[in-house]
Amino acid sequence: MEVTTPVRTLPYRKLELYEPEGDMLTLQLGPQHPSTHGVLRIKLHLDGEKIIKAVPYPGYLHRGVEKLCEQLTYVQMIPIVDKDDYIAPMHNEQALVMAFEKLLKIEVPRRGQWLRSLLSELQRVASHIFWLGTMSLDLGGALGGGSTNFIYCLRERELILDLFEELTGSRFHYNTHCIGGNRHDIPAGWAAKVHDAVNLIRARLPEYEAMSCNHRLFIERMRGVGVLTGALALELGITGPNLRASGVDHDLRRDAPYDAYREIPVNVQTAKEGDCLARTHVRLAEMRESLRLIDLLIDGMPTGPINSSRPAKQANQIKIPSGQAYASLESPRGELGTFVVAGNGEANTSPYRLKIRPPSLHALAALPYLLVGHNVSDAVAILGSLDPIMGEVDR
Amino acid sequence: MAVIEEPRSYFHPLYDVMLSTPGLSVGVAPLDRLLTWGLKNALWVFPMATSCCGIELMASAAARVDLDRMGTIMRASPRQSDVMVVAGTITVKMAPRVRRLWDQMPEPKWCIAMGSCAISGDFYRNLYPVVPGIDTFIPVDVYVPGCPPNPEALMHGLMRLQEKIGLQREGKLVPSEPRPDFDAMVRPPALSRIGDAARAADLSDRQEQAALTMCPDAAPGVVEDEEKGFAQPATQATPPLNTELVELLRDRFGVTEFPLNAPPVVSADKHLELAATLQKMGYRQFLFVAASHRPAKEGSEDLCEVAYGLRTVGAGTKEAIWQVRVPTNQTVPSLVPLFAGADWQEREQYDLVGVKFAGHPDLRRIMMSDDWVGHPLRRDYPADKECAPWR
Repeated sequence: MEVTTPVRTLPYRKLELYEPEGDMLTLQLGPQHPSTHGVLRIKLHLDGEKIIKAVPYPGYLHRGVEKLCEQLTYVQMIPIVDKDDYIAPMHNEQALVMAFEKLLKIEVPRRGQWLRSLLSELQRVASHIFWLGTMSLDLGGALGGGSTNFIYCLRERELILDLFEELTGSRFHYNTHCIGGNRHDIPAGWAAKVHDAVNLIRARLPEYEAMSCNHRLFIERMRGVGVLTGALALELGITGPNLRASGVDHDLRRDAPYDAYREIPVNVQTAKEGDCLARTHVRLAEMRESLRLIDLLIDGMPTGPINSSRPAKQANQIKIPSGQAYASLESPRGELGTFVVAGNGEANTSPYRLKIRPPSLHALAALPYLLVGHNVSDAVAILGSLDPIMGEVDR
Repeated sequence: MAVIEEPRSYFHPLYDVMLSTPGLSVGVAPLDRLLTWGLKNALWVFPMATSCCGIELMASAAARVDLDRMGTIMRASPRQSDVMVVAGTITVKMAPRVRRLWDQMPEPKWCIAMGSCAISGDFYRNLYPVVPGIDTFIPVDVYVPGCPPNPEALMHGLMRLQEKIGLQREGKLVPSEPRPDFDAMVRPPALSRIGDAARAADLSDRQEQAALTMCPDAAPGVVEDEEKGFAQPATQATPPLNTELVELLRDRFGVTEFPLNAPPVVSADKHLELAATLQKMGYRQFLFVAASHRPAKEGSEDLCEVAYGLRTVGAGTKEAIWQVRVPTNQTVPSLVPLFAGADWQEREQYDLVGVKFAGHPDLRRIMMSDDWVGHPLRRDYPADKECAPWR
């Protein structure tokens, strides 16, 4: 077969061919900049204030997690991957253990599955709330410094962190998933607290909407900015809310259901426009949907064991036969997957190679396409609206 | 790398004058106390936040803990701040920037190392890209241990710093804060130093022996008796192979082996054609590239296995995963012409594993700095590789 290779123009515009209208300037945004969501450097080539070329340089937080995982045993590495996407550690752990369970062919008991989904949805709400807060902070001046929204959002996030702290003993970096299920069962009185927190957050969601996507200044800053078309998003491998805001109806919770999502249908939230405002709308709608799911999950929580066996306590307790598996789930940022190459011909206690598929990496790869033609102040808005977490990008 | 302790103007600027003029201190002392009070209670923080601890730093500035009431506010510019809070892992690539930002801060200045990564590197301290503690290149005044420390712990650290500043201004001897001894508190994971000449030849064997004796009957699977309260480990159904992919590979690409627990192997010259065919069949979403290095052994040469994953979009989504096996010095056709999403992923695999992708428009390092030598995720690359002067 003749392979027809489409000629693709990469967004690296040839600067020599560009005829500037104003003064040319090269601006290094980052790596230490409060609005780069961690340590990211973007080299912006400016014509006056207009961006004509943007080149992101990630890697300032590359900690060698994949190399470390090759050295550790399957039991030891679960708290390590917590630190990858530090806004949603629950999903990191679960994506990892799901790959191991796939190789071991272990089925998690029903209550364990429901508990995992419950934690996942709580974490999604916490993550989206945090995103809204930092996004408002990024927009800065137009929203009175953005601090109001930030402080309100983090107030609600603390409610969920308190729930997690009561369950697992840690505000984040939980180490609560283990191969075959979960480590911590729901303590007495916890369910009522979840309901309280959910009701409080639900009651306050209209406040957030009033401060964000119903706020005139917010809309002015976000509408039509950083338009990501559905086709480009698919090509770039962008997943999660960023993809759904571009009109592509794709959510692993519904399309490749795992855990309790096999029993509870998820209403997938989409928007057509693909701009920063659409991404805000989708995340707020997802928060509402997650709150609905949390109520369903906590009310319908089945009885029984949460783990298929006693959680491993010794480092060498779990051996995985030789094989390769890929497992993924829908994290707040998109498809978070783990590809594990276990053993090198024989069963072993640590993997031969572990690769984490980070959704944020693909979202960041859209920056050279999205930033061109916008002003510098919009660069920060676009970057924030993609919700990248550098710990996950660089690992 | 040892820290060169520079002269830092903790002391009163008129100290020498006061010594030479008896009686002046009586008049100056109340003013001096006022200055000290002001300095202590308006510590403006420069958040050198890189990772997880940075989130707790933000949380401590937010509603619940509210550092503002201590006179501590976040300033995004080093030139306006008094305290640098280093929150998060500092990598070799980031360390020169941290040092430069520290140098840009005006005196008097202090530094708080927040979290175990900033203190000692913690889990990552024996790994190639991580600086084992920021006190190897900037002087640290207060250590706040934790992973990450709670906002309350950070607040306590700031209060300790306030005490320290008060003592320093009074000219009292301030005991230097010791670095928390993590080596005594936690046992670091033993890193196997593959391909390291300094490593004893039988160490790997002994480690493996130790691993097996702790759990002698370690059969594949979870090893523990089922007790009351735990379910029988139910067996997951074997994940079905993607029949669409299997038929395609068998009929048009001559692949005969389809193992249940590994992706099928496709020859490198058919790889691009396969990806193009799959893209036309609806596999439009690019998932991942994962290269793994197989060092040369007897009977086989130095190999790289590159696994690719694609996915269909929408209801009933399916993933297609296959792998290409090439000798390490040969190239793999790049998928960037078909999937723009492969760009950064292939750059990452080139950077970390050293696989060269033919036809990639922009193949350069992405995670490590441009002058880095070697490919860290190769099996023969020592995990605790030194990188002078940072680690």
